[in-house]
Order: sequence, then structure tokens, then C-alpha cells
Amino acid sequence: MMTYIDYKTLLPRTVIGVLIGLFVIIPVFTTSVITLSILISSGIWAIAVMGFVLILRTGQFSMGQAAFMALGGYASAILTVNLRMPFWPSFLLAGVISGIIALIIGLVVLRVGGIYFSIITLAFGEIVRILAQYMEGITRGVRGIIPPPPPTISLAGLEINFAAGNPVPYYYFMVLLVAIASLVFWQIGRSRLGGTFASLALNQVLAEHQGIHLMKYRVIAFTVAGVFTGFAGAYYTNFLSIITPLMFGLWQSIQIMMMSIVGGVSSIVGGALIGATVLYTLGRYLSLLPIYNIQYLLFGAIVVLVLLFLPKGTGLVDLWGKFWRKVFREPEEYEMPEETEMAVE
Amino acid sequence: MSLLELNGITKFFGKLAALEEIDLKVDEGEVLGIVGPNGSGKTTLINIISGYYRPTRGTIFFNGKKISGLRPDQIADRGIVRTFQSNVLFEGATVLESMLVGSFLQYKTKDWQSFFETKAYKDDHERVVGRVIELLKTFDIFNDIFLPATGLSHGYQRMLGITMALIANPKVLLLDEPTTGMNHEEAMFVVENIKKISEQGITVLVIEHNMKVILNIATRVVVLNFANKIADGKPEEVMNKQEVIEAYLGTETI
Ligand SMILES: Nc1ncnc2c1ncn2[C@@H]1O[C@H](COP(=O)(O)OP(=O)(O)OP(=O)(O)O)[C@@H](O)[C@H]1O
Ligand SMILES: [Mg+2]
Repeated sequence: MMTYIDYKTLLPRTVIGVLIGLFVIIPVFTTSVITLSILISSGIWAIAVMGFVLILRTGQFSMGQAAFMALGGYASAILTVNLRMPFWPSFLLAGVISGIIALIIGLVVLRVGGIYFSIITLAFGEIVRILAQYMEGITRGVRGIIPPPPPTISLAGLEINFAAGNPVPYYYFMVLLVAIASLVFWQIGRSRLGGTFASLALNQVLAEHQGIHLMKYRVIAFTVAGVFTGFAGAYYTNFLSIITPLMFGLWQSIQIMMMSIVGGVSSIVGGALIGATVLYTLGRYLSLLPIYNIQYLLFGAIVVLVLLFLPKGTGLVDLWGKFWRKVFREPEEYEMPEETEMAVE
Repeated sequence: MSLLELNGITKFFGKLAALEEIDLKVDEGEVLGIVGPNGSGKTTLINIISGYYRPTRGTIFFNGKKISGLRPDQIADRGIVRTFQSNVLFEGATVLESMLVGSFLQYKTKDWQSFFETKAYKDDHERVVGRVIELLKTFDIFNDIFLPATGLSHGYQRMLGITMALIANPKVLLLDEPTTGMNHEEAMFVVENIKKISEQGITVLVIEHNMKVILNIATRVVVLNFANKIADGKPEEVMNKQEVIEAYLGTETI
């Protein structure tokens, strides 16, 4: 039974604590640039996927989420390079700017909803990419903007140096960013807000007649997604030390959808983390193969396989949930008692 | 001043008039039966009061304030809540989930309080869950709270519909054929509950084909025929009116 209402989390708090602990100590065991950069990127994409799934919860399918990464990325790069603003305020502003644009776009586009919304967000994504390409005076076009690394932070006698070539501080800040995003999305999913969002997808007309303002809640979801996707884009830009129009285009928007399908959408956070990590890692290694663009083909194949074997939005996160219950003999959530069918008579 | 006042409500679908110049006043505490042959405009009337459709012409006042032109959620928020003629439910949600999601107007706390799980929200939530359980018990659906709502029998899906409307705290309840497709026992159960709802001070507008039900619960009856109001008054008087008998005989002979 899929209802998209997270009244109960799949994982007990202790397991979440252990998982976070594991991620925190990874750099103690390996400072391999490749391993850490894969984890950093996966985490960043996971945030974008969480945003996508939150919008999906309200019944809307956004096909242009990568554009908000571009907005966040360009905002932070332009603020630091063109306007010489210090890194941290510009990073915070990037999320705010992306969120404000999401709010404005949402207020216009979410009036329609459905397939029209999908098509308009797709077009919006392309418009952002084209603007980034042709507004060369500000964005330097296809050459891209190269932001300076964030300043070194001195914290309790500890020097955190974001100089190029050292992924460890980037890694820790990613863990912090993902933790904050996960907490917010997880809390939304299990709060009343999550149920309100879900009601719009489950039956829009009924939800409205129960007093729920359709536009308001659609716009809230779209804006929250915009803020966090903007942060993700800004952080990715600074991690890679470059932003170009091609980094966040249509393929990246599609990749976000594919990650959500592979991870599963029954849990906003769990599905996003699993889907993004699996697909990003795979894509990274597939791109090493000598066949040009093989990852596009194989991503498609993986998505088809997931849809065939784990249908109705139950991605890998549900598989994990089943495994968990088998091992620890937790009962299935909301299992119906035997006699309820009779009670109707 | 009446609680609910419809002035010259007209609704066209293209060239078809579904309602023509309907004037209607409903006082607090009434149980108003709305009857009429198929296609006479009864559901359209509820659709217009609840804000699902906008009237082509005419205005609606509730508590002296204009509500025609407002969205369904605004009208529900003012205290006019409806049920649907067909079973309209949250597809895939359990009975309990449906009720909690449907409790949107029952909550007194704001979204941010729910997000931060403040003490006020937790108390509010506890109260809402208590109210949900109480209503589900009243309508005998309490044993099935973990069942998907669509898995309930037809009669119980309709009762869940009424329960969902009630959890939204209505001052006026609009019921669109609450007993259709129910067996006699279920229908009588619903009738008893509508009486209880009315005793709690909720004004009820009920569309119903079953004349026994109407005569049992209505304090007043309005008859629609071909988009027009042809009678309005005490149930026994209205049912004996020549036009009403003709309207019904007319459809039955077709
Ligand atoms: N959305 C719509 N578009 C076009 N015509 C409509 C629409 N809704 C209702 N109608 C028409 O308006 C007229 C009144 O319909 P309505 O549903 O109000 O009738 P009713 O009295 O509720 O009938 P029933 O007893 O069958 O439920 C009918 O002729 C119907 O076909
Ligand atoms: Mg009808």
C-alpha cells in the first residue's frame, strides 16, 4: 500500500544515528579524492532529489529541477566573482534567490498543474540554460565562471582549509548540508504538512473541499524544493570550482527523476539518498568506459528494470525496508488484522 | 436574517440551464430536504454552494457575508462542508490517514507548529485524534481504521464520506444522496445519525431520492424540476402538491 504519508519512519532513530556516525568517520579511513568526491556529489544530488520528491508528493512532476541548481550555482558564483561578496553570505543568498525564483515561477505555473506544469518546468529549465549561455557579460557563457575556494575557517584551533585538491572539508560540509536538508524534508514528510501535500496528489477535489488551499500548498512545496536545490547547486559549483551552462541542463533534470525512481519515493529522504548514491556512483564509473555516453543508455535500462521489478514508486528504499523487517521481525506497517473484513457486516 | 441565502442562482453549462433563478433561504437548525427527478439540478446546487462551480448569475450569502465566488477551501473554512454523490476518497490512504488528512480544518495549530512539534501542536493533535476516533466510533468504522478506505463496503465508504465532512467542523452540512446504494439497515443507521448531527446544532441540506428518508428527517422540503424550484414547504404539504406529483410521475413513466 503506497500512500506517501510518512507517519512512521522506516528506520529507527538509533540506526539513523549509527549511519550519520559512519559517514562522519569515513575520512578517517580514506582521504581518497575519488571516493570522497563521489560521496560529496551523491549527497548534493540527493538534496536535489529530495526537492523533486517533495513536489511529487503534491502530485506535480517537475521536469526542470536542475535549473534551480543552476540558479543557486550562478547566484553564488556571480555574487563572489562579479560582485566580490564573501563566500558564506553569497552561499546563503544563493539558496534564498533560488527560493524566491521558485516562489515566483510557482505562483504562475502551479495554477495549471498536471502535464502543463511538467512541460512548463521543462521549458523553464531550458530557458535558464540558454540564458546562462548567452548572457555572456554576466555568466561568461560556455567558458563558465570559476569561483575562488571558500576562505579557510579557524574553528577552536582547527584550520579548515577549502583549498583545491583537499576534499575532506568539502566532505564534512556536505554531510552537514545533507543532514540539515534530510532533517527538514523528513520532518515535513512526517508532520501534518506531509499529509496535506499528499492529499493533493491523492484527491485534489476532496482535499480542497476539506479546506486545503491547493495553490498555497503546491507553492510551499515547490519553494522549499527551490531553496534546497539552490543550496545544492551553489555547493556543487564551489566544490567543482566551476559552473557552466551544461552542468545543469535537461539531462541533469532527467537524472534527478531517475534517481528518485531508483531510490523510491515512499520515503523522501531514504529514497533520495539511496537513489542518488547508486546512480551517481554508477554514472561516474560508467563514464570511464571507452564507449561514449554509455551511461545515458544504461541509466535508461536501470530505470526500466526498477520500474519492472519495483513498480508504483517502490524503489530500492522499500527493498531495504522489507529486508530490515525480515531481519528484525518488525511487523509490516499497518497490517490489517484478520477479522476486520468481517467487522463490516 | 437567514443563515444561508441564495438569490437568483442561475447556472448554465453551455446552453443547458442546470439551475434557473433559484431563491432559497435556509435558517439555522433546519434539515432541508432537496428532492427532484434525475438531472433536475440538485447536485449542481450543492456544487455551487460549496464553491466547486461558480454561478453564472446570482449571489449566495452565508451569515450575511457574500460567499459566491470563493474557492471550495474558503467556503469549507467558513463552515459549509459537503459530501459527494459518488464515493470520493483519498485513493490508497487508510481510513485513519484519510480522516487525519481530512482534519485540516479541525486543527487549531499552524503548519510551523506541526513542523517543530511544539507542545501546543502535540496537544492539538491529541485532541484531533480523539475527535476522529469518536466520529469513527459513531459511524461504526472504528474497527477498520487501518484498512484502505477504498476497501470498505460501499455503504461504509459513504459513511466515511460523512465522517470526513463532520471532522471539518461544519456549521452547514451538505449531503448529496447519503443513503444511495445502502441496504435498509444501513440507510436507517445513517438517518439516525443525521438526526443526531442536527441535534448538535448543525444545519443540514440533504439531497435524497428515498421519500421515506426525507419524510423521516426533513423539517422542510424543496423540490427542483428542470432547473427550477417548483415547491418549498413542509414535507407532507409539498409531497401532496400537484406539480410535485406530476414531476415525479412524469419521470417514472419514461
Ligand atoms: N459539469 C457539467 N457539465 C455539463 N453538464 C452538466 C454538468 N454537471 C451537471 N450537468 C447537467 O446539469 C443537469 C443537472 O445535473 P445535476 O447533476 O445537478 O442533477 P441531479 O439533480 O443531481 O441529478 P441526479 O438525481 O441524477 O443526481 C443535468 O442535465 C446534467 O447533465
Ligand atoms: Mg445528483
